[in-house]
Amino acid sequence: MSTLTEARRDVVPIPETPSPARRRRADRRRPGERARIWSGAIVCALFLLPLLWMLLTSFKQQRDIFTVPPTIFFDPTLAQYIDAFSRGDLGPKLVNTVIVALGAGLVSLVAGAMAGYALSRLNIRGAGVIGALILASRGVPPIALAVPMFLVARTLGIMDTHITLILAYCSFVIPYVMWLTRGFFLALPKELEEAAMLDGCSKMGAFFRIIVPISAPGLISTFIFSVILAWEELLFALVLTNRDATTVPVAIAGMAGDTETGANWGALAAAGMVTVIPVVILALVVQKWLIRGLADGAMKG
Amino acid sequence: MVPIRWHQHRRAVALGIAVAASLTALTACSPSGGDPSPGGGGLGTAEEHVEITMMSNDAFAQQWQDELVPEFNKAYPYIDVTIDAIPYTELLAKGLLNGTDTDPEYDLITLDDPWTPQLAEAGVLYELKTDADEWTDPDYDWDDFNTAPLAASEWDGGQYGVPLRSNMLLMFYNKDLYAKAGLPEPTPELTWDEYLEQAPQLVQDTDGDGTDDSWAVGLTWVRGVLSPPFWQAVLNSDGGALFDDGMDPTFATDAGVEALQTQVDLLEYAPPGALTYNYTEPLDAFRQGKVATIFTWGSAFKSAAVDPNVTTLTPDQVGIQTMPVGSESASTHRGIWSGSMFKNTKNPEAAWALLQWMSSKEGEVWTTNTLGSFPARKSTLAETPAEDWLVPVLATLQSAYDVAAEGEMWRPRSPESNAIQEILADQTSAAVQGQASAQEALDKAADQIDELLAK
Amino acid sequence: MLPATVLLVAVLAYPLLYTVQISLSEFDLATFAPADWTGLDNYTAALANESFQNSLVVTAVYLVLALPLQIVLGFGIAYLMNAEWRGRGVVRALFLIPMVVAPVVSGGIWKMILDPLWGGVSWFLGLFGLPPIDWFGDATMSMISIVLIDTWRSVPFVALIASAALLSLPSDLFEAAKVDGANWWQTMRSVSLPLLAPIIAATFVVRWLGAVKMFDVILATTNGGPGEATNVVNLFIYQQAFRLLKFSESSAMAVIVLVITMILTFVFLSVSKKLEDRL
Repeated sequence: MSTLTEARRDVVPIPETPSPARRRRADRRRPGERARIWSGAIVCALFLLPLLWMLLTSFKQQRDIFTVPPTIFFDPTLAQYIDAFSRGDLGPKLVNTVIVALGAGLVSLVAGAMAGYALSRLNIRGAGVIGALILASRGVPPIALAVPMFLVARTLGIMDTHITLILAYCSFVIPYVMWLTRGFFLALPKELEEAAMLDGCSKMGAFFRIIVPISAPGLISTFIFSVILAWEELLFALVLTNRDATTVPVAIAGMAGDTETGANWGALAAAGMVTVIPVVILALVVQKWLIRGLADGAMKG
Repeated sequence: MVPIRWHQHRRAVALGIAVAASLTALTACSPSGGDPSPGGGGLGTAEEHVEITMMSNDAFAQQWQDELVPEFNKAYPYIDVTIDAIPYTELLAKGLLNGTDTDPEYDLITLDDPWTPQLAEAGVLYELKTDADEWTDPDYDWDDFNTAPLAASEWDGGQYGVPLRSNMLLMFYNKDLYAKAGLPEPTPELTWDEYLEQAPQLVQDTDGDGTDDSWAVGLTWVRGVLSPPFWQAVLNSDGGALFDDGMDPTFATDAGVEALQTQVDLLEYAPPGALTYNYTEPLDAFRQGKVATIFTWGSAFKSAAVDPNVTTLTPDQVGIQTMPVGSESASTHRGIWSGSMFKNTKNPEAAWALLQWMSSKEGEVWTTNTLGSFPARKSTLAETPAEDWLVPVLATLQSAYDVAAEGEMWRPRSPESNAIQEILADQTSAAVQGQASAQEALDKAADQIDELLAK
Repeated sequence: MLPATVLLVAVLAYPLLYTVQISLSEFDLATFAPADWTGLDNYTAALANESFQNSLVVTAVYLVLALPLQIVLGFGIAYLMNAEWRGRGVVRALFLIPMVVAPVVSGGIWKMILDPLWGGVSWFLGLFGLPPIDWFGDATMSMISIVLIDTWRSVPFVALIASAALLSLPSDLFEAAKVDGANWWQTMRSVSLPLLAPIIAATFVVRWLGAVKMFDVILATTNGGPGEATNVVNLFIYQQAFRLLKFSESSAMAVIVLVITMILTFVFLSVSKKLEDRL
């Protein structure tokens, strides 16, 4: 454990803009290094191929989707996007998904990070066991929670509300956040907040003024991954919503299960693209912190 | 009780609402099983609208909300209807949850063909013929319904729903591909033996490049709710039944094995990848002119033969009829979406008004011509529809209803219907997959169902 | 600590206890609530249920195939991705996309691509005169296809974690090995692997916790078929509960799965801890 902690402190932060020194190094890159970059890019492209297929499909008329051989050149149409938004009523559902995913992400981040911090500073023998329990609770099969939640939501009369779904998502996002944040708080030297407390900060004050700003990259990447977890969730959304809080994955599942005209893969692909784009933009904006956050947290289970 | 037309008497309606409201408050703690509230909730007034909500299968909820509700409101302007789309897989569970709720959110539900027994048994549905009789329009003609679709929402002598969107398992065929293979076009008299004899010829090379590019058949083979009905239809056409009157399985017989073997054998004449064919996949193959025949739900006809954005075919190229004939009769299988009211609804009168309107001749004619969905009344089917392509479709539908009623071609009528279908789906799929012989699969299914029903 | 505890008790502990309660009683559909206490009847029934046993086996097969593949691929890709160049950040962000595509859509898209009649893959194979492959044609192929699709969706996350972990390896050790004249294999065996072992173990645990919950890709592709060849336990229980309304039995099954998952998770965690302490 200690090796890793020390190792991490040795990591030199990698500058994101190419420094003159780095550019010079790039010029005399060994062929092996070049091959590595190329194969990395190719693997990434391979992984994106199905998405290209999806993108093409989303611009096809239904009759052009299933053809032999696959149609590459076709009259592109926006009909599927229009169909997804009008017939599939995607707009409000997209809003719901954003509210629920951001809500679950935020609640979990605040609650989970505080708990993660507490855990990392806990000096009791049980701390390791609690940590393990939290990690393990990520493995609770959602189906074990869905039935009681279904019943409780009715009893409390909170079926089909955003808050219910946010709370339900907390059941798997909070453990995830606690586990990640505990990792990177452990890696922070205790002297930091001890110094702050000497300066007259309270424990909470030290947490918010010193710890949070320092671990900002980690918190941001944790937030992104939390939002992604909630973004694509299907089971709870199916069970706990009817109309007002329905999310996009539910709408998509419904489109796929259309027993009248059959699934329209064009509209499905269009709906799929619509859900992908916001997350990709978000990820691109914060790309610098994505890996650093994970690097700080992930390995300290 | 003498039927009273509330909407003609506003003051009476207002009084009714007041009574209903106070009764509602009084009975708020008794969820289900109690007597239906006598007030009925009225049909609303210009000042005070009645609100009703319906949980509906998501395939058509939006269409109903956008098109059907405004049409309904022309006749009943003071009833506000909200129709929510619930995914098929959740509809039954959510229906039960709502039906047992003290403060239910929904008044109405659409029920798939096999669901009525289970919900009626749980006591969450309104009996319509007697309990809702006081709000039934005297002109509402129960006897005009075809027996088969109406029976879908019948259980234990009670009528718990009315057919809203009917459907039957039918055969579509591509006339061009039959001509290319040099075969006569199918007729409703075509037998299964003849069909199987012709099938190899329908696997053909249409563009002459030396490889087969068109196949005989598409149907549902993948394990799921839609996979057993084909086998069940063939079994029924040979005079076989799934169960006897005591709910003992009677399908693990020679007729049952032969019917299942038909489903297995047809795979050989299907396009590559047919083993994963559910509902959409064979339809896509048919629309692209890749299969000569398809056994599917009749409501698919519009998307298979009419809508140019979706299909490469035109109504002239596509024939429709009941599925081939066995030793007893032609084959088909019933799939009805019925509309039902929850017993705990506070507005049974308005809810029933919607169901009545939708299933009245007026409503059926409108939905058939505007939405292209299928009616259940004999008189509606006898009308000339607004669009030409509907003519052969409606004629086929009427004969399918007759055949289905005669041969009881539907899923098991039991509160355990879903569980039974699940077992049948598992086992018939094992036979299709080649993991078991047809006989072994059916024997196993019969054992498992015996065990299930013994509980 | 407090807010998280309260929330977790409300959304995790309480529902779990409720599930246990339902699993020990008969579920009355007429009131939609657990009724008579039946003891362990639901558990004996669940354990005797052939389809449930089958679904446990199917899940085990899937995990045994998918996890090692995804870990190996994940680390391989992470190594490639960590090469320093300007496009690295963008590549990493793009790599997230497969994770975000709704499972139903990704299942459907893959089914289209793999379709032997009109899929891109069989078209591509056809260019070389190869016959199309029926990817979902039998039990074995279906399982392989499911693993492939799931791998496409999951490897990016494994790769990102692995990439982060690889970055935190101490570079001075490698320098030292180079100075000592060690070749690639020696460096690998005596420096990289010992350092990587705990990281691999930790990543394995993370992926394991995600993989045991998998069901949506299958829902969108084979629906558990052909036969029951890909009917993983989560899909099976979901159908028992919501399609067949067998809430008691399904709760018992869920509890059984929960116990198995927890035991295995703790085993993996302690192995992973041992690996870490050995350093």
